[in-house]
Amino acid sequence: MKKFLSALIAAVMILGCLAVASCGGKTYEIAVVTDVGQLMDKGFNQGTYEGAKEYAEANKITYKYYQPANGSNANDEDRIAAMNMAVNNGAKVIVTPGYLQENAIKTVAAAHPEVKFIFIDGWNLGLDNVVGVSYKEQESGYLAGYAAVMEGYTKLGYTGGGGGSNPACNRYGFGFVQGAAAAAKAKNANITVKYSYQNGTNFSASDALQSQISGWYQNGTEVVFSCGGSMFDSVKAAASTFENARIVGVDVDQSYESDRVITSATKGLATSVKLMLAKFYENKFEAGGVVLGASDDATGLPEETFAKTMKTWKLDEYKALYAQIKDGTLVPADETPTDANSAEWLNKWLTDNGYTNVTIDFE
Amino acid sequence: MIFLIQQTFICTIPLLIVAMAGMFSERSGIINIALDGIMIFGAFGGAVTVYAFIKTGALADSPQLIYIVGMLVSAAAGALFSALLGLAAIRLRSDQTIAGTALNMLAPAVVLLIIKIFFMQDKLVMPTLPGGLSLTFVLIDNDLPGFLQAFFSRAYISTYIVLGLYIALSVLLYKTRFGLRMRACGEHPQAADSAGINVHRMRYAGTLISGALGGLGGFIYITTSAGGTAGGTVAGMGFLAIAIMIFGNWKPVGIALGSFLFGLLRCVGSSYASLDINGDGVFMLKDLGLPMYFYNIIPYAAVLVVLMFTAGKSRAPKAEGIPYDKGMR
Repeated sequence: MKKFLSALIAAVMILGCLAVASCGGKTYEIAVVTDVGQLMDKGFNQGTYEGAKEYAEANKITYKYYQPANGSNANDEDRIAAMNMAVNNGAKVIVTPGYLQENAIKTVAAAHPEVKFIFIDGWNLGLDNVVGVSYKEQESGYLAGYAAVMEGYTKLGYTGGGGGSNPACNRYGFGFVQGAAAAAKAKNANITVKYSYQNGTNFSASDALQSQISGWYQNGTEVVFSCGGSMFDSVKAAASTFENARIVGVDVDQSYESDRVITSATKGLATSVKLMLAKFYENKFEAGGVVLGASDDATGLPEETFAKTMKTWKLDEYKALYAQIKDGTLVPADETPTDANSAEWLNKWLTDNGYTNVTIDFE
Repeated sequence: MIFLIQQTFICTIPLLIVAMAGMFSERSGIINIALDGIMIFGAFGGAVTVYAFIKTGALADSPQLIYIVGMLVSAAAGALFSALLGLAAIRLRSDQTIAGTALNMLAPAVVLLIIKIFFMQDKLVMPTLPGGLSLTFVLIDNDLPGFLQAFFSRAYISTYIVLGLYIALSVLLYKTRFGLRMRACGEHPQAADSAGINVHRMRYAGTLISGALGGLGGFIYITTSAGGTAGGTVAGMGFLAIAIMIFGNWKPVGIALGSFLFGLLRCVGSSYASLDINGDGVFMLKDLGLPMYFYNIIPYAAVLVVLMFTAGKSRAPKAEGIPYDKGMR
């Protein structure tokens, strides 16, 4: 038995050496390093990876993804190790999706100034080889809110993740209210928007969130904007028990997950990764921060499923509104407070801008 | 009011059945701290079953039947997983708390690995029916008149299955020879053995029943609260259920009281702003203007207070957690 074991171990080691040797000479120019969770999450990481993959395949560049150790509990050390592995494998540009990457990027980018970093959902880190890419989520939110009211709904809801401290979620929610308000004014309708960050601190599904949203639907709320990862599952469970309950999805087109989804406020992750990679390969890489929006095709509502899910408001009307945001004639506001977990700032904005037909029902 | 009753059922049922699961293994003498892991594994088993049914199109016109088959498979999956605990705790005589903790870590890892390999995702969502319709397991979705509405509109068949199971299991534990023997093994296994009872077999039975109920509870939880999504977590429901079992003093009546109390308060805590108790259009709890954290804390604070007054009478099965050794006296 012992002999067999030692032979086995020897064999494994030899194979291991061979494996290392065989790929030792190979390098991967584009690296994608995820922050937490799985690569194929149907959302954030997947969108980023697919963008990098498409660009690399179209331009015949080598690419590889790296997932830090410890999955959903990965910490900065794990991410630093993954990034260093990418650098050792010859990465020239590293795409790092997720705002959790800040510290890891700061460490690795400072140690390897020759490697460029694209920090998706990030911001300006003040390093010469890092570009932070953030999005105008308020534009997608605006379009979704506008669409919901134009579709004929007057009782809306917003449930956001991050407890009011996640800037992306806050911008989505703020945009949603603005769009709904604008549409209500155009239609001369009175609307209410329930607004809540409760039960969403961890972006996860829970029976508490399910109860809360069921309560909304029970009391007449018609459509709820579910803004935060797995929270969608609880909103979906709540909606499934009410015949007329509808949902607005987030980040990607979620109409494939439930027939209750009327539209989704999306971020064009793949598009923006391709855009940033193209800049790098055309030697136009600029460190700092960029904010992508409709003018870069990085925000909006999904158009492929539009006709299937929207009955009253037409795709052409959406495109006309989208064009206004795109050319800058319509600019949704984006200044949200750091702690958005209150109704004051929303009410203030509505009063300041003369929207009297919108009631914010904050929870 | 009606809404509150409906929601309370949704919050309570998984807790009730999983707390019963914990009771069965503990009354036979095995500490089952692995309930959370068993729920995760059972939920996954059920979700895969539903997935397979929808993808093959079998039984597409009778979702209730799919749901019931899903529940059976989830119970089987839970029992299978708990067999690992039985193996470690009964045959190998390992420390039961540590074995249970290990299983709690194993379950999400295994489930996520399988989902990752076969579905290329990090969670398994029950797919939509052909034609893009969502699958729902609600019995009647139109409104019935009066109080019937509270119990049958928007209710899940699982609620009534669990209530039936609860009664059957209570009878099994207290009114049958099998139940008496099982309880004896949790109190004084040496005495039971001297009376000719096979202690190991009884403890295996307790653990397997526990696993089956736990798996079932996990599946019901993801179906009614998490949109039918199986992944690496059931939001700590397994641990809550253990707390409720202790709260209920390892007895069915106490467990029922505990889970209904906790479920009700949890519902009030999360949907207080939408509660209109007497139907006059006034949302009293919301109008009080207290911060939401106040309502969120209530269920936990209430349990603590009740425990303070009842802890003196708390009586765990005497022999739980101690591996059975024939030679010991």
